Amino acid sequence: MKPAFRLSALAAVVLTLTGCASVSIDDALKETNARSEPFTQGKVELSRTKAQRDQRAALTNELLSRPLTQSDAVQVALANSPSLQALIAQSAVNLALANQVGRLPNPILSFERVRLNDELELGRLLSFGLVDILLLPQRLGLSRSQAEQAKIQLTGVVIDQVTQVKQAWVRAVAAQQALSYAEQVNRSAQASAQLARRMQLVGNFSKLQRARQQVFYADATTDLALALHAVTATREDLVRILGLDEAQATRLTLPARLPDLPKAPRDPQEVSKTAAQQRLDVQLARSQLDLVGRAQGFNLLGTFIDVEVGARRDTVFDNAEGTQSTGRGFELDIRLPLFDWGGARRDLFSAQTLAAANRYDATVRGASSQLREGYSAYRTSYDVARHYRDEIVPLRQAIADENMLRYNGMFIGVFELLAEARAQVTSVRRAIDAQHQFWLADASLAAAVIGRPGGAVPAMASGAAPAPAAAAAGAAH
Amino acid sequence: MNNRRNFLSGAGAITGTLAAASVSKVAMAALPEPVLQTTPNTMPPLMPSSGRPYNPVVTLNGWTLPWRMNNGVKEFHLVAEPVVREMAPGFKANLWGYNGQSPGPTIEVVEGDRVRIFVTNKLPEHTSVHWHGQRLPNGMDGVTGLTQPAIRPGKTFVYEFVARRPGTFMYHPHADEMVQMAMGMMGFWVTHPKTRHPLIEEVNRDFVFLLNAYDVEPGSATPKIMTMLDFNLWSWNSRIFPGIDSLNVRLNDKVRIRMGNLTMTNHPMHLHGHEFLVTGTDGGPTPKTTRQYEVTTDVAVGQMRQIEFLADEEGDWAFHCHKSHHTMNAMGHDVPTMIGVDHKDVTKQIADLVPDYMVMGERGMADMGEMEMPLPDNTARMMSGEGPFGSVEMGGMFSVVKVRKDQKAGDYSNPGWFKHPKGTVAYELDGPVPEGPRQQGAGAAAMPVQNMPAKNIEVQVRKPGAGHAGH
Ligand SMILES: [Cu+2]
Repeated sequence: MKPAFRLSALAAVVLTLTGCASVSIDDALKETNARSEPFTQGKVELSRTKAQRDQRAALTNELLSRPLTQSDAVQVALANSPSLQALIAQSAVNLALANQVGRLPNPILSFERVRLNDELELGRLLSFGLVDILLLPQRLGLSRSQAEQAKIQLTGVVIDQVTQVKQAWVRAVAAQQALSYAEQVNRSAQASAQLARRMQLVGNFSKLQRARQQVFYADATTDLALALHAVTATREDLVRILGLDEAQATRLTLPARLPDLPKAPRDPQEVSKTAAQQRLDVQLARSQLDLVGRAQGFNLLGTFIDVEVGARRDTVFDNAEGTQSTGRGFELDIRLPLFDWGGARRDLFSAQTLAAANRYDATVRGASSQLREGYSAYRTSYDVARHYRDEIVPLRQAIADENMLRYNGMFIGVFELLAEARAQVTSVRRAIDAQHQFWLADASLAAAVIGRPGGAVPAMASGAAPAPAAAAAGAAH
Repeated sequence: MNNRRNFLSGAGAITGTLAAASVSKVAMAALPEPVLQTTPNTMPPLMPSSGRPYNPVVTLNGWTLPWRMNNGVKEFHLVAEPVVREMAPGFKANLWGYNGQSPGPTIEVVEGDRVRIFVTNKLPEHTSVHWHGQRLPNGMDGVTGLTQPAIRPGKTFVYEFVARRPGTFMYHPHADEMVQMAMGMMGFWVTHPKTRHPLIEEVNRDFVFLLNAYDVEPGSATPKIMTMLDFNLWSWNSRIFPGIDSLNVRLNDKVRIRMGNLTMTNHPMHLHGHEFLVTGTDGGPTPKTTRQYEVTTDVAVGQMRQIEFLADEEGDWAFHCHKSHHTMNAMGHDVPTMIGVDHKDVTKQIADLVPDYMVMGERGMADMGEMEMPLPDNTARMMSGEGPFGSVEMGGMFSVVKVRKDQKAGDYSNPGWFKHPKGTVAYELDGPVPEGPRQQGAGAAAMPVQNMPAKNIEVQVRKPGAGHAGH
């Protein structure tokens, strides 16, 4: 049958056409990298070869050799996290499926061997769905839409991951920083308790006075234990999200403190402008609307006619005559929609169009609302953290300084001095907490701007603000 | 230094104390110019230049108000006003007083003098002046509402009476009294006898001061006026040791000290090295039969006492209230006792949190007198005063009577530290210290005890010398 299929030229053209239109995962990653540049510095890739994996392992090792900054943490996750690789690979699958839509189904080769008395008829039919070919432009469009969606989804997945990494990093560093203050409080409480014990021993304190100091130490010990666990828990969370193995995890060190607050908060104008350009959910909703529209057009056609076109080459061997004749021709099958004129499907699709259109609308409206809330959370946590930094902590320091002077003058005793010192430490802890909330809100806002607020940080948008406020009210500790 | 300005001595003596925005110039024209005192130093006695002669007193860290004679009447002008009083070097208080200082100037008159006192109110609220202890017409007694209307801010009232009996007196407001006394409104009054009085000795030196108390939060400057008893500054004439001047006398001087108590508690005043007689009370000179030699006399609230002694022992003799908290300046009243508690090793832990922390009180509170650690702004050290042998570790109601052979008569200046004759200063014993007797048991009791703790408590005693020197 080798020379037989001139028609294969047609198929080749079609395949080329569809081949041109198909989107590779590398293209998708390129696009994701461009879209998520501020999140990833363009470092997203899918490791497929040993060389790639080695290179990534080397990068991870290098990054782990020093205290891991937040952006380093993102790089480690991109380079090292198997679950992120899995997500990217899954995206590659989705993309392949989308590409598939843009290709013609494989041609059908049917072979018939019919013997009638002396006649042997060999029938070979290479057939393509005619509609598939006729509607190739639509198929390509659909494929492109689906691929586009897959790409947006991939970007979204990457941004979710990066946001989670950033927040996990903030939590881990904050927990570590809080621990050092919990240790200070505990040391002071221990000193008070120790001193009180000796005071009672030599008869200067009653049992009651000593117990008061002792109970504070006991409480502080609980706080310290909880703070220690928080360090472990947040660190392990970070380890998981970075995908570190045991050896890598032992090498993970974090900076001693959270980054300072930015000099000024992000400008709401800049935020909304950036969001308007970047929101993935809006892009996705638009693309879905587009897709439904295309799908509808395509499938409505398909409802009416299901056509198969085939190239036919029949060879008839007449043994009696010793002849063989070859018949060539096209075969066209048309399935007539006698029983289903597609009304129901049309209803379905117009409903889907309507749904998609409304979803798009809702997405746009929701997006701006989410942005407003996200910005408010961000701004509130910034203001609260700055208030702690500029007002409360300096005031506490001034109180501590003045108390020291009062201790010098024997206006207050050492226990009062220690109690005030603990109060100062507590407000420093609250300040760290506020800073912690700010950096969470910052990551959350960055995600909201690009349109992934829900996925990345479900509780953050509304959760950021109350936490420091509660801390300020003295309820959090 | 004499900053006293006598309005009688002409130009230049006029001060600008009274901006008088609220006091009519016309009304002022008839008044003696008020005289202002700008320093809290002890001023030399004001020798009377008009009126009947007398032997003037010296007001410790204070001064006597000059007067003018007007048709045989002694006219004084008191201006009630807010003042800043230096209570000790480096510590100033926002008080209310008279003529630039609190307490106000001492008023000295002679028995039988007709006295006219103009009182101008430059306080933010009304006031009045009660002439504590005087015989006078009821309407001159200065009780707001009862014997006169209040002197409104900006107004001037005139009090006029005859100083009928010689003795030691005070003046203070009788309007919003709690506040105005807590703010330092008070002054001394001495009525000298017209002629020799059988019960009133001629003396070489006659000192006066008021006992007063304030509650000023360390680091602040204005007294808390609601304090009832828990004052933290115990003062003489609104000065606290080491801000109180010494009482400098010549050997064998006959010395009189007059004290009035305007605090809320009594003060057992105690003089070292001499016995004194209480020669006068609120009622005037005491009958000789009631006098007995003492070294401490209690001055109750609202009382005056005058004591007299012959300064016949040379030296620097302590003179103070015997309530030991009254010889301290501001301090915490709720500070736990750290004596005997070794907490040096805990110090490092504490210093982690409180970097400037130092151990104090482990051996007692004397550390406080020795350590020169920074205090809150405008705060007097709880105890201090550098004597010739180290810190005196005192504050509050404490001063020194300095008796010197070579002090000139009429010279009130400080002669410096006493030069002890050889072999007259306590000295350290050389060689080993013999083991002293030890207390055995709690001793017998008058009655059997009931309801005692079930267990005999072992009280631990830590003695010094256990090897922790060098704080
Ligand atoms: Cu006293």
